[in-house]
Amino acid sequence: MRVKPEDLVLVEEQAYQIRRLSLEMITCGRWGHVGGAFSLAEILSCLYFHELKLDPQNPQWERRDRCVLSKAHASPALYAALALRGFFPVEELYTYCELGGRLEGHTDMTRTPGVESSGGPLGQGLSIAVGMALGFRLREQPGNRVYCLLGDGECDEGQVWEAAMSAGHYHLDNLIAIVDYNKVMAKGFIWDLMSLEPLAAKWRAFGWEVLEVDGHDVEALLQVLHEARHVRVHGQPIAIIAHTVKGKGLEEAEFNYQWHTQAPDPDTADAMLRELARNYGRPEEGYSKINDPDAKEKFYGGE
Amino acid sequence: MPEEMRDAFGHTLVELGHEFPNILVLDADLHTSSKALYFKKAFPDRFIQCGIAEQNMFGIAAGLAMQGFIPFPSTFAVFAAKRAIDQVSISISYPKLNVKIPGSYVGIPTSRAGASHNAIEDVAIMRATPHMRVADPGDNRELRSVMRAAVLTPGPIYFRITRYTLPDLMDEGYEFAWGRGVRLAEGSDVTLIGTGMMTSFCLQAAELLAKDGIHADVLHCGSIKPIDADLIAASARKTRAVVTAENASVVGGLGSAIAEVLGERAPAVLRRIGVQDEFIHSGGITELLAHHHMTPADIAAAAKGAIAMREALR
Repeated sequence: MRVKPEDLVLVEEQAYQIRRLSLEMITCGRWGHVGGAFSLAEILSCLYFHELKLDPQNPQWERRDRCVLSKAHASPALYAALALRGFFPVEELYTYCELGGRLEGHTDMTRTPGVESSGGPLGQGLSIAVGMALGFRLREQPGNRVYCLLGDGECDEGQVWEAAMSAGHYHLDNLIAIVDYNKVMAKGFIWDLMSLEPLAAKWRAFGWEVLEVDGHDVEALLQVLHEARHVRVHGQPIAIIAHTVKGKGLEEAEFNYQWHTQAPDPDTADAMLRELARNYGRPEEGYSKINDPDAKEKFYGGE
Repeated sequence: MPEEMRDAFGHTLVELGHEFPNILVLDADLHTSSKALYFKKAFPDRFIQCGIAEQNMFGIAAGLAMQGFIPFPSTFAVFAAKRAIDQVSISISYPKLNVKIPGSYVGIPTSRAGASHNAIEDVAIMRATPHMRVADPGDNRELRSVMRAAVLTPGPIYFRITRYTLPDLMDEGYEFAWGRGVRLAEGSDVTLIGTGMMTSFCLQAAELLAKDGIHADVLHCGSIKPIDADLIAASARKTRAVVTAENASVVGGLGSAIAEVLGERAPAVLRRIGVQDEFIHSGGITELLAHHHMTPADIAAAAKGAIAMREALR
């Protein structure tokens, strides 16, 4: 497949916007996970602006593809992608973590249009995705795919491998797991906390076909997603191991576990967003609420 | 002689399977014990074997429910309520998914398998899970009605299946309803409230008490959550002495649910029959019931104790 140049431009721009809006939301909501949202930006952008069959006007469209965010703490990135794609207004992103709003800290499928599962406890998403994939088979919808976005640290959870085993057993070739392999967990590097390697061999041993890709190279990602959808290898589910950088795009946050969960104050966010714009060659823009006294009061005066 | 309750479960699954083509049964390598086997034989394409991996099974059930199916992920109650409670809670109950959870092998009649397999905390755990409805049917007729109600009621539901033959309790034509208890005997000296297999013991206890001139109001709460607070409060206001009986831990189970109703609406003396904050060890059913003070005679003795305390407090 040759990716059209204009598609590359679109997907790259949306990845930048996903990062920018994620940081805005985390700042405004005063809670959230920067590192794991940033590492996922290109993956989400490629899925939501190129690969997934979906209809923002009809989020419950029966023939849509499904995408389960198993690493549900990356919710800001998913919400940003959904808003940019037209599921709800971009301005609503600033209600992240607000009581009575539609954007829960970890995903709630009953409240947010376009969110396909409720999550938070790591390890649960791939089983849900297996159920969805079996459901597509029972409903005879061979044209649809189920995607599941997993964290690397999440692969410590036993349930991930229970799910992997069942997907292999049932030859779910309509299921694609994408591991956001950003090398950093909540409290340090993977290799210091719990060894994951050989990761590709683990998936293969459970009956999966494995594809590896640079998770920030949009063209390569689109190629791999195309291959995963169309090239059926022996009726196997497909694991895409996407090598990424936690906190990608901000020098301070890259590979830094301290930016796993942390909300910047408005002034720090302003500087970070300006750096982000410089790093991606965009016109410099800071934190959009920097001069909003309510937003500042909320940050410094709130609970 | 009625069939064993697990056979009634398996046969009812098949009946409902014919009627509702979107019912699926999931299993974790226990279908010949739970009797989900009957469904597998009738609908092999709608039976999904998940292996010995309960957490994954409940997640798969969630995914299937999102695709419009009505999954019954079937396993022993201990595994549904303890091994997989995080999945039951967040993957299923939080998003109010249409999953029906049969908990097999509950309490004392699980018998010789011992502490690991005799479910006693399942009622408390499921009752504490938001959005979850909980039922412990008293006989096969009620079990069939509970299962039909489960299919017809959207959302997550947990119901218990006792590995035992229970005597018929309900009249022909009885229909289970969520939050509705039933009065099985009328009296004004003491209230006996049972659920699951213990309700028939309450009726036997009432007969023992009648010999001493004590007339018991006997209620059955097959629906533990929601619970029939009106029926319970009305009876408690009349008798001011209540005994609960359940085949589960009294910590968080029916006894706790009734204590909540009494405390908030109709203060009364309360005695709780059931497993008293301990594990059930291996043993024969009859000896275990005696060991845990869960026989009809124990219920009758508790009733007399409650009446004596009520009188002492006058």
